Amino acid sequence: MGPVPGPSYHLRVSFERCIAHLDMDAFYASVELRRRPELRGKPVVVCGSGPRAVVTTASYEARKLAGIHSAMPAAVARRRLPDAVYLRPDFPAYREASGQVMDVLRRNVEVVEVVGLDEAYLDLTGIFSPKATMRRVASEIREETGLTCSVGISESRMLAKITTELGKPRGLVVLSREQALERFAGHSPGLIPGIGPKTVSRLESMGIKTLADLRDWQRPALEDTFGPRSGAWLYARGNLWDQTPVTPEHETKSQSTEITFDVDVTQRAELERHIAELSEELCRRLRKRELEGRTIGIKVRLDDWTNATRSHTVEKPTNDPEVVGPVALELLRAYDPQRPVRLLGVRVASFEKNEAKAEPEPTPGQLRLGLAS
Amino acid sequence: MKLTTKREDLVSKLSIVSRAVSTRAATQALSGVLLTAKEGRVTLAATDLDLGLETTLDANVENEGATLLPGRLFAEVARSLADPTVEIESREAEHDVEIRSGGSSFHLRVLPVEDFPKLPQPEDEPGLRIPAAALEESIELVARAASRDDMRPVLTGVFVTATGREMTMVATDSYRLAVKRTELESDLGGELEANIPARALRELGRILSSEGAGETTISLLTNQAVFVAGSIILSTRLIDGQFPNFRQLLPESYEHDVRLPRSDFLDVVRRVSQLAQRNAPLRLSFRAGELTVAAETPEVGDARETMPAAFEGEELEIGFNPEFLREGIESVSGDEVLLRLISPLRPGLLEPVEGDEFRYLVMPIRLNV
Repeated sequence: MGPVPGPSYHLRVSFERCIAHLDMDAFYASVELRRRPELRGKPVVVCGSGPRAVVTTASYEARKLAGIHSAMPAAVARRRLPDAVYLRPDFPAYREASGQVMDVLRRNVEVVEVVGLDEAYLDLTGIFSPKATMRRVASEIREETGLTCSVGISESRMLAKITTELGKPRGLVVLSREQALERFAGHSPGLIPGIGPKTVSRLESMGIKTLADLRDWQRPALEDTFGPRSGAWLYARGNLWDQTPVTPEHETKSQSTEITFDVDVTQRAELERHIAELSEELCRRLRKRELEGRTIGIKVRLDDWTNATRSHTVEKPTNDPEVVGPVALELLRAYDPQRPVRLLGVRVASFEKNEAKAEPEPTPGQLRLGLAS
Repeated sequence: MKLTTKREDLVSKLSIVSRAVSTRAATQALSGVLLTAKEGRVTLAATDLDLGLETTLDANVENEGATLLPGRLFAEVARSLADPTVEIESREAEHDVEIRSGGSSFHLRVLPVEDFPKLPQPEDEPGLRIPAAALEESIELVARAASRDDMRPVLTGVFVTATGREMTMVATDSYRLAVKRTELESDLGGELEANIPARALRELGRILSSEGAGETTISLLTNQAVFVAGSIILSTRLIDGQFPNFRQLLPESYEHDVRLPRSDFLDVVRRVSQLAQRNAPLRLSFRAGELTVAAETPEVGDARETMPAAFEGEELEIGFNPEFLREGIESVSGDEVLLRLISPLRPGLLEPVEGDEFRYLVMPIRLNV
């Protein structure tokens, strides 16, 4: 059943598809502030304590004072802002707060897709007043948890996510695709989730520096450069088209565990011991979620930040450490790191239940009809 | 609500509506089958919001009412019953439904009936009428060329246009395109232009082939189409957006017209395709008087077969996706198919030797990439 065309006056959101993205404001830091109100107004940084820990969240004060952001090495943050309050992450507390938040969402909206502890997409298509609904959701979250969030409402997932950023913190912004095209015309294509630094620099080398530049490119030209899949995808994203549905159960594509060593590891025996431990930990998690995968991979980061991944596909899907461990070990031995290892990870992918749903990839060289649409 | 019905009828009607039961429902109610006894009529209905199915059930009604049962479980329970007679009674106080048959008795907890959406109903005045056989044939030939990729919703539909005594269906997934034009036996009584989800049409095709109804009526609502075939009502949302102008995709002329015996060609393609695994293309090499079909899958093996073909002129080699080619040949009726080609990188066309009622355009695979 499509959306019901209702009365249209300028305040009413009447997108054909209506998707909201909700992102908690400085989630971990806010949870900490909630139980330690004396820290309010002070810069708070949540991060681990090891020499290689990274920042998990920084309160807005810490962001404003010293530009501290998540994923920044904790050491850098400490150097920039030694007086900030540094807290160790308390994941059980965050999970509990997250559960409360998501309960509010599910109570108010039927189709909710939770991504991570502090983010969710909501499908509001057909709902009479998306804006009022989300305003109610935000105020209920605040009443019940004392935490604030930001909301973006638009015509697709991608646009909703970009829109959320505009209102942070505590904002609720509605943006149509048309408005977004205008507003972001001068921005780098890197603004779009999924277009990473590598693609950005590749686009720049083609003279595509802004979203407006990207829009000037026709689909066939992009397909020629980036291949049919990525080209078509870039073309769609450049025009801010996105049809990705909001799926209530987040499908897991792969699962991994990794460890960053406090001191780089050179000893082969030690690396092999870690591989066994990581495999066991990973399989424990897979079993808990009843997932079995066929592709087993390892990830190695050397002391010079070279990253390597190797993978191997086995006959039958598995979550058995007796299978995953030895395969991962073989991969490590075959890769044979020539420098001290900084990070080591094990990954399992190609889960059975995902495989059945996947669209078959078109054959390399398969030509398409020149559909103008 | 209390009624008695035949197990056989219940099972077959449930298997029809169950196809619209949502498997990953946003609302619990969509995983249910609605059983309604009202004004002497008993109906079963299910919907996943894209597709809705409703049908009647022969039953003796003792008390009227409506109840929403968990779809899959209800169907499985019905199928498992041993006695030919089934009694269904809702027990309001217990929030469940009792199903009795022979010595067995089941209590199924019901779903909130008020959450079940009202299914679109056909308009009172007679809608457009299309002979079921023509509709079924067109659907079978065209619907499989529709895209299954939700990234481009417009292509997941079959574009149906009909006026007077002519109906055209077209679908494309951008790799191939199928067009079927049909002369109708009688005037359809109006005009039709809609992009109908291929999934709904495939479902309709299945229903038409099993129902044996002579005629289907169609009502077009704002953004829904409602089909009535015998005792079954199928409703579907319509797809918005401009369907590509397919006429301009059909080349105006071809370099080669090759007539091939349909069943031989199909057999050769099927045989050789076994060795075109993992996305490997099928290679068609034409030379004077013959066609060689070949396939190769690295680390698996290869296959080739040569058959006589009325081909003239310079040799031509062209690659196709085995499945797309096979489905194209299968769709062409008659003893012979006409394969029309331009060059290795231009589309190929499959059609019957006579008439232009059906055309299947397929894009090649660039070989030696």
